[in-house]
Amino acid sequence: MNKQNISKIIIYSGLVFTLSCKLEAITDPNNPSITSITSNATIGQLQNLVTGLEATSKNYLSTSANAFGTFGREIWFFNSADSRNIQYWLGQAQVIPDATFYGVGGAYTGPYGAIKQANVLVSAVNNTSSVTAEQKNAYIGFAKTIQGYQYLVPANSQYQNGIRIDVSDPLNPGKFVGYDDALKAIKVILDDGYAALNKAGTTLPFKLTAGYTNFNTPAGLAKVNRAIAARTAIYQKDWQGALDALQNSFFDLKGDINSGPAHVYGGPPESYNPLYYVLNASLSSAPVVHPSLITDALPGDSRVKTKFFFRTAPLVNTVGKVPLSSQYQDNRWATNTAPIKYIRNEELILIYAEASAQLGHTDDAVGAINTIRKAASLPDYTGAEDLNSLITEILFQRRYSLWFEPAGHRWIDARRYNRLNEIPVAADAGAVFTQLATPTSEINWDNFINGK
Amino acid sequence: MNRQFYKLALSVIFTFLIPMVILAQDTPVTGLVKSVTDGSVIPGATVSAKNQHISTLTDVNGYFKINVPSGTVLTISYIGYLSQNVTVSGSSPINVVLQENINALNEVVVTGLASGIKRSNLANAVTSISAKELTGTAPPQTVDNALYGKIPGAQIRANSGAPGGGISILLRGVSTLQGSSQPLYIIDGVYLNNNTLSTGRSSVTGAGASSQDDSGNRLADINADDIDKIEVLKGASASAIYGTRANAGVIIITTKKGKAGKTKVSFGQDLGFSTIQKYVGSASWDTTKIKQFFPASRQALELQRYADAGGKVYDYEKILYGEKPLITNTHLNISGGGDKTTFYVSGDVSREGGIIKHTGFDRNSLRLNLDHKLNKWIDFSVNSNYLNTNSDRGFTGNENNAGGTLGYIIGYLPNYYNPNPVNGIYPDNPYSENQNPLALRDKAINNVKINRFIESATANLRFIQTEHTSLKLSLQGGVDYLNQKSKEYFPEDLQAQRSTANPGNVILGTESDINTNLQGFLIYGQDVNKTHFTTQVGVVALQTQVNTLFGQGRGLVASQQSLAQASVQSVTQSSQIVKDLGWVGQEEINFDDKIIGTVGLRLDKSTLNGDANHFYAFPKASVAINLTKFDFWKSETISQFKLRTAYGQTGGLPPYGSIYSSLSPVITGGLIGSVISSTVGNPDIRPERAGELELGADIGFFKDRLVFEGTYYNKHVNDLIQDLTLAGSTGLSTEKVNAASLVNRGVEVSLTGIPFSGQGFTWTSRILFSRNTSKITKLDVPSYTTGVYGVSYGTYLIKEGYSPTTIVGTPQISPGIYTVYGNSQPEFQSSWYNDFSFLNGFSLTALWDWKKGGKILNITEYNTDNGGTTPDFNTNGAARKNNPTAANYVQDASYVKLREVGFSYNFSKNFLHRVLGNVVQQVRVGLSATNLLNFSPYKGYSPEVSNFGSASAINSGTDLFQYPPSKRLLFNLKVDF
Repeated sequence: MNKQNISKIIIYSGLVFTLSCKLEAITDPNNPSITSITSNATIGQLQNLVTGLEATSKNYLSTSANAFGTFGREIWFFNSADSRNIQYWLGQAQVIPDATFYGVGGAYTGPYGAIKQANVLVSAVNNTSSVTAEQKNAYIGFAKTIQGYQYLVPANSQYQNGIRIDVSDPLNPGKFVGYDDALKAIKVILDDGYAALNKAGTTLPFKLTAGYTNFNTPAGLAKVNRAIAARTAIYQKDWQGALDALQNSFFDLKGDINSGPAHVYGGPPESYNPLYYVLNASLSSAPVVHPSLITDALPGDSRVKTKFFFRTAPLVNTVGKVPLSSQYQDNRWATNTAPIKYIRNEELILIYAEASAQLGHTDDAVGAINTIRKAASLPDYTGAEDLNSLITEILFQRRYSLWFEPAGHRWIDARRYNRLNEIPVAADAGAVFTQLATPTSEINWDNFINGK
Repeated sequence: MNRQFYKLALSVIFTFLIPMVILAQDTPVTGLVKSVTDGSVIPGATVSAKNQHISTLTDVNGYFKINVPSGTVLTISYIGYLSQNVTVSGSSPINVVLQENINALNEVVVTGLASGIKRSNLANAVTSISAKELTGTAPPQTVDNALYGKIPGAQIRANSGAPGGGISILLRGVSTLQGSSQPLYIIDGVYLNNNTLSTGRSSVTGAGASSQDDSGNRLADINADDIDKIEVLKGASASAIYGTRANAGVIIITTKKGKAGKTKVSFGQDLGFSTIQKYVGSASWDTTKIKQFFPASRQALELQRYADAGGKVYDYEKILYGEKPLITNTHLNISGGGDKTTFYVSGDVSREGGIIKHTGFDRNSLRLNLDHKLNKWIDFSVNSNYLNTNSDRGFTGNENNAGGTLGYIIGYLPNYYNPNPVNGIYPDNPYSENQNPLALRDKAINNVKINRFIESATANLRFIQTEHTSLKLSLQGGVDYLNQKSKEYFPEDLQAQRSTANPGNVILGTESDINTNLQGFLIYGQDVNKTHFTTQVGVVALQTQVNTLFGQGRGLVASQQSLAQASVQSVTQSSQIVKDLGWVGQEEINFDDKIIGTVGLRLDKSTLNGDANHFYAFPKASVAINLTKFDFWKSETISQFKLRTAYGQTGGLPPYGSIYSSLSPVITGGLIGSVISSTVGNPDIRPERAGELELGADIGFFKDRLVFEGTYYNKHVNDLIQDLTLAGSTGLSTEKVNAASLVNRGVEVSLTGIPFSGQGFTWTSRILFSRNTSKITKLDVPSYTTGVYGVSYGTYLIKEGYSPTTIVGTPQISPGIYTVYGNSQPEFQSSWYNDFSFLNGFSLTALWDWKKGGKILNITEYNTDNGGTTPDFNTNGAARKNNPTAANYVQDASYVKLREVGFSYNFSKNFLHRVLGNVVQQVRVGLSATNLLNFSPYKGYSPEVSNFGSASAINSGTDLFQYPPSKRLLFNLKVDF
């Protein structure tokens, strides 16, 4: 072959090769696309979304338990590597929550992530023919029940700053509504979920984890739904509503005070119980029991022993404005895979006591209080039976019975009864917040839309 | 693009393919070319007849032969030397002695994918760094380490002091608001993988994302001794031909080639040590401080410990960072060849310990560069490089698990605690970090091993080679294959591990990356009278693949490091594949070296874009005018006066995965679920686009003994990709959108000269100065803050009208608006290089590097304030601790450093001949130092650290217990046989 021929072959083959080069789009090699479930999702795909919802419904927990627990001085969060769990969360040196307040984002984006997941599940269910109308109600009922619970977390922390309820369209989120309206909307969501579950037949078309043992039927989930509705009702001061909801929940004055649905944990690739810390270990980042819970406890209260672990050496904290120390850590978790109940019969009994007291059903209230006291190895209540005294007693019992539970109780309870000033802050030279500030992403989004 | 277009383009190209032949009258002339420096002959020098297009090269012995008429002016030129003109008289032999040229105006600068241009004809301020400038003063640890103070317009930062890389380079300011703004590296035509690979260290230390792994950037693998030169295309106007990946500039590395002639064997040995640049110090303790610092429940115990120490204190910095490790670097290269084949073979073994025990960086490199002329019209070359590196970077930087890094541990350790092991048992640390620092240092492993092949092959087919016409097909292919094995290991008996549910933690990672690129260019040259046209069209294809697999085991059997020995095992795996395709067309018109104009266009598509098949166009145009080449120029004083202007556009690709809206996997209660990803994909995402206008003048005085180069640029970057931060309540966080613009404006000045050159003494000097300002000119997403650890210590504000590197922090002024504290970008940078040669063989070189301004966030100090250990804690620290605002920790990071200094002696040829006969050609001995002197108002270890590495252009400049930087002192020996 001569030079010309070689040249021609090379040039032409090169040109033909390059002209035929077309780049095909490359699909994500690591994950399925969201479009795969937007229409005609299979039962398997819906199951994945349900499990995804169960998983995302845990995302709020670590932040809300630790932050709200700190605000209500149920705990202090010692973190030797970052003083902000002390300086900021305790409100030392006049720190007040601002739009990018340290370490609380998870208690906002966590619940809203679960709400989004539930919305996607509902929309996938409504756009598929792989399940029956009755089965659809089960998915929708479960989704809305979870949503009701999740909305309460930002509603309670944002309080009078309000939250958005209508969040289905990410580019057109609804307006902020105040605390009272938010609770009303949450009630509607829970009622819708309850209605759906009542029309969902007798078996669920999907699998739930062991966290829903005893509740993994439409009727069982309906009981969970009503328990959450009862919690919502007392925040609304709808005392009769609370009692009504309790009647259809798993509330049982004579039953196991610990019954209730749980978030489940496991070893990798699952996530560990975020509240578990090795007992008596030298820990540099861990929640500790606020000393007031030890000093304020009634003699013989068995909850002190079961919930608070007495360490051989105190955990100390030297970051922040004043040094802090606690001899006790959380004793509730046997292992790092122990499930965490997110609403328990014990809380329902206390709701029953509170609603009864508020409605003047004093005997019912005292009876429920004594159920709680008996479970804590305490003698019956002998104090005054006027409303104020009963509420004081109920709040006291809630402080121990619901100590450091996932969505935070003490801070919210004290605020409900204008008793934030009863939260002890002298030891840590801090202050108690009423609520958190609206997050930057929300302020910026509204400014952005208004500026357009 | 349709076929009609290509047909048209083809017919245009082939119209040029008309050979033209002009015959000339010849007289054979011979000559010899030598160097003035050592009298050695110069092979490969160009001998060309002025105003005629006849030229030849000198052979291996420096001789040339050319057929020209008597009276012809011959120009003799060679890279690195001043050109000389001689007039041919008859056929008498011509002897030429060339003077070394510090400015190398005639050297060919590689500026394109398949072509170069003479420096004197260049329309851009392209910085060239020769082997001598790169490694001549002090042998560098890594290539990028050797660039400090040598590139005007470059902001270079060592993210960590650990040996083995971790350097980021910003050319002409920030070019993107997301991700890294690192330049594209091309080595011998191969798209070099300079990624910073994840190791999993931040998982075992709890530091968070892999950006806090403190890994080295993989340029560290390259052996600097193999580099012949480096060209830096700083902005879009120069790098437009590289298209869609060139927004942050392009750094072109060319490795050494063999030269025809006697086989040359060169052996080099460096031997030395390194030592910490600066100790920060630590506050003292007494009983009063102990009582204030610890809670009542702890005071008695603490006072007892203090009393037990009996006044003995421990300097943890000296204990941990006080090593003076050995550095050795041995390299041997053999080069040579004949008329047809030349070769360069090199082997390099370097071992560098760190100032922290059990850390260090080892590199083994083997290279073969082979060039062969198959026949008159085909030549090809193969460059082959195998690299093997091993780095142990230890545990420094951020952590959130107990006792994960050395700095954190000692930052919270009062100085009366004795960490020294007794009979091999490390005492527990009773303070907040719960880890004995010596146990962490001695028992934990952070190791990365790299095996890497960089291969390239080039072939040139010269279809037409006549005096006035040439047509060449240039084909090139390259592969960069890299395999990383990483190990992160915390043994089960470490104190902090014993406090976890499953003590012992090991992460074993494997990553394999393959970059493959292919390109073909047709280059057509044509003279029309005094004007030379160079036309080129080409196609470029690139594919990159990344595959990672990490296995983690927790709850380990005693002293076991295998996953199978763990009670809890888990894996993570991911893969990425990206394809790019581009077309290039360029026309260069050179009017007699007087006016040189270029226009070009690149068309690019990539699977990273929303539409994988859409071509994005990146045009360029430039003109350079050499005033001194015109006949009207009479001045003898000004030997060169070039005005130049260039405009060009480049792209920046969307980050991988921007187009995907995914369902992420999650497992709970034994069931697998799909979760809506909080980031929303954008199927319409486009590349970022930079457009840069550059204006400059290059002026040479006194036969270019003094050269001034001044450049102004204005670089707009549009379509910047932003995270549209959605309202948090939507349950989604961000969507990638093209929504911002920024502008970088700056000046770069260099002044190079030989202030004195006389009998036995030459002084060469160079001053560089550069300044860049940036501003966000458009932001179509809500303003936001990004980076570091939020507003409480200082973070970066992204807002229209502000520089993207503006630092803001607490206190809040109004909802969402925070106090502005300054800028991380320096006010200016300058460097001063001096080279003194004296007494026939002595040489002293020194490079000073000055950065004025630029702030960093000293979060180390925030932590040591909380630990009561900041040197000034006892006077000022307590006040900072009790009133935490970002104001305390945003600090000035100006510096002046003696980056490189070297003193060497070249034994004279006569001496060598007398003593060693003809075996040894050259012997050089010397002493060199890197970072010998450092001056800075900054209170921490180093004013140029970055906890987040080069992962983000914006999020740089965070000091959080990084590996302290060191200075190096080396003895150097070089022998040529």
